[in-house]
Amino acid sequence: MNLWLGLLLGLKEISSHKFRSFLTMLGIILGVASLLSMFSLTAGMAKGMREYMQQVGGIEKVGIITQDVPIEQEGYAEISPGRTVADAEAILKSADLVSYVTPVSELQSCAITRANQLFRSFVVGAWPDFVPINKHEVARGRNLSLMDVENAQHVCVIGDGISQRLWPELPHFNPIGQSIMLNGCPFTVVGEFTHYEREEDKRRREQAAKAPPVERDRTKRKPPGGAPGGGRGGGSGGGMFDRKNAMILIPISTMFYEFKSASVVGLVDQGPNYKLDQLSFQVADTAAFQQTMNQVQAIVGATHRGIEDFTFDTKQEWFDTIEESVQSTRLSGGMIAGISLLVGGIGITNIMLASISERIREIGVRRAVGAKGRDIFMQIVVESAVIGFIGGVLGLAASFGIMKILVMISDKNAPVVELPAVLISFSFALIIGVVSGFYPAIKASRLDPIEALRYG
Amino acid sequence: MALIELTNVTKRYRVGSQDIVALDGIDLVIEQGEYAAIIGPSGSGKSTLMHLLGCLDTPTSGMMRIDGIDVSRASANKLSEMRNQKIGFVFQSFNLLAKFTVLQNVELPMIYAGVTAQERRTRALAAVERVGLSNRVKNTPLQLSGGQMQRVAIARALVNDPRIVFADEPTGNLDSKTGATILELFRELSEQGRTIVLVTHDNKIAAQTPRRIEIQDGKIV
Repeated sequence: MNLWLGLLLGLKEISSHKFRSFLTMLGIILGVASLLSMFSLTAGMAKGMREYMQQVGGIEKVGIITQDVPIEQEGYAEISPGRTVADAEAILKSADLVSYVTPVSELQSCAITRANQLFRSFVVGAWPDFVPINKHEVARGRNLSLMDVENAQHVCVIGDGISQRLWPELPHFNPIGQSIMLNGCPFTVVGEFTHYEREEDKRRREQAAKAPPVERDRTKRKPPGGAPGGGRGGGSGGGMFDRKNAMILIPISTMFYEFKSASVVGLVDQGPNYKLDQLSFQVADTAAFQQTMNQVQAIVGATHRGIEDFTFDTKQEWFDTIEESVQSTRLSGGMIAGISLLVGGIGITNIMLASISERIREIGVRRAVGAKGRDIFMQIVVESAVIGFIGGVLGLAASFGIMKILVMISDKNAPVVELPAVLISFSFALIIGVVSGFYPAIKASRLDPIEALRYG
Repeated sequence: MALIELTNVTKRYRVGSQDIVALDGIDLVIEQGEYAAIIGPSGSGKSTLMHLLGCLDTPTSGMMRIDGIDVSRASANKLSEMRNQKIGFVFQSFNLLAKFTVLQNVELPMIYAGVTAQERRTRALAAVERVGLSNRVKNTPLQLSGGQMQRVAIARALVNDPRIVFADEPTGNLDSKTGATILELFRELSEQGRTIVLVTHDNKIAAQTPRRIEIQDGKIV
């Protein structure tokens, strides 16, 4: 008997007990559905995390942070100037393994005003390299220039979220050339960053733009293809990019002259505070990560006069932890879904055993007209494999439904369906189908033809 | 050469701790083209003999040849092949597969013989025509009368052109009139040169065949 006939026979058997077959398949359907949904959800989660990691500078961004000096250096730690612009300049001059470097000085809770708009936000003073290091993109206008830094120009590059708030009535307003006030000091907007959002939000927004306007208010605020989303409409669920969208970038020199030339602590002016809040650089080649570290270590060690009051803050560990947690989620979820598939397989075995006891006579007739034991074996295994196959297909379909529902009820990362996950889930169902048929098939093929013919 | 040749064949069963001798030193020769009836009361061993002759079972001892092939020690697969190629069965209870049509039932032996789909169909149609049921090929067995079902079974037995046809009480489930038409069909087949062996407990049926093989307590008398 060939495979094709076996398949036809299996389909016939399944269709002659539709409800029973469906119940049998249900175990496989649910198993496959949960396996694929789980794979896709973790993949979506991992994708969202990687996207975010990339957006905050990726693995190549390294920060130089302060640390407590070693105990043997405590006595003369003051000889180190701490993190200053000089560090950045030294790195810029000498570290050929570093592609970008920037000092950063921040101003928290700065009053931002334009016309009758007033709110408080943070302002970042840095070099133009701040933009590539932190994966910012200038959408309109230009980045800061070295000349702006040199001459302490009153210019700024603002995030899309800031333009939203400054010109709330004009969703698509081009702010280039406009003047805004930072703590009462006028600055000219020379550039605007792009609107940062998760790829998924972007996709959703574009779909909403294409679809007929259901929520009129939202679509009006977001013209097709337009960058800035409406004040909150576009930002829904994109919380992790809110800070990035609220960026106001000015030259670090301007920051020092305008806002850091006095630091009042307890009503006493402590004089200018030119200490940096951040000092970060980008590694040119991640393959030479350690060499780059050593190089920067030597340079900054020199500017700090040998005082080890700094260390590196790399994202490596963080990335590893995230990858690890994704892996373990996938593994444990996969195991649970796998167990449910196994249970489905046991269901198939059970039903096949019952179906064989119903068909003992038929098996006897088949043996009498010349079927060999292996023909019977194959018939049963193929039938069980067909159950696994159909169950697998329905399970894949069901998992898309499940994912749709999950996406609807939560605004988390959309699941990403990957082909290997589909193949793994499906072939697992097929394998389970075949394997669950083994025991019933062996039992059926070993029936004595005479006994089987007498049965019933 | 004889078609079937049994020399000193015995068959023993073990039931619990008891040894039952079902066949005790049978010597039997059936020639090509014979029409014979094996007759005996129930428990005489006639069913066991038919299972042996039909290659459903092997003897405990002795020698058995069918169409020149020694099957006394044959493997299960070899026996399946013999049943498929050399032997046709007709049962008392018809043993048709209820979920399949008449045509599919008749095609069944050819599936295990590896015959192509097209040839299966032609040969099955010819066999169904031979038993006079050409108008019922699309029906399922449950839509047929007992006599018609037995005709389908006969068509199935003939479809692989076997050397010998065994019929185990073929009229046992039929009324006497229908039974007579079935026996008539067997007689016709015999006249066309088929070797046919009926197994029965009914003397009236055995009286219609040229040869009677009487069996009692596992021995031919």
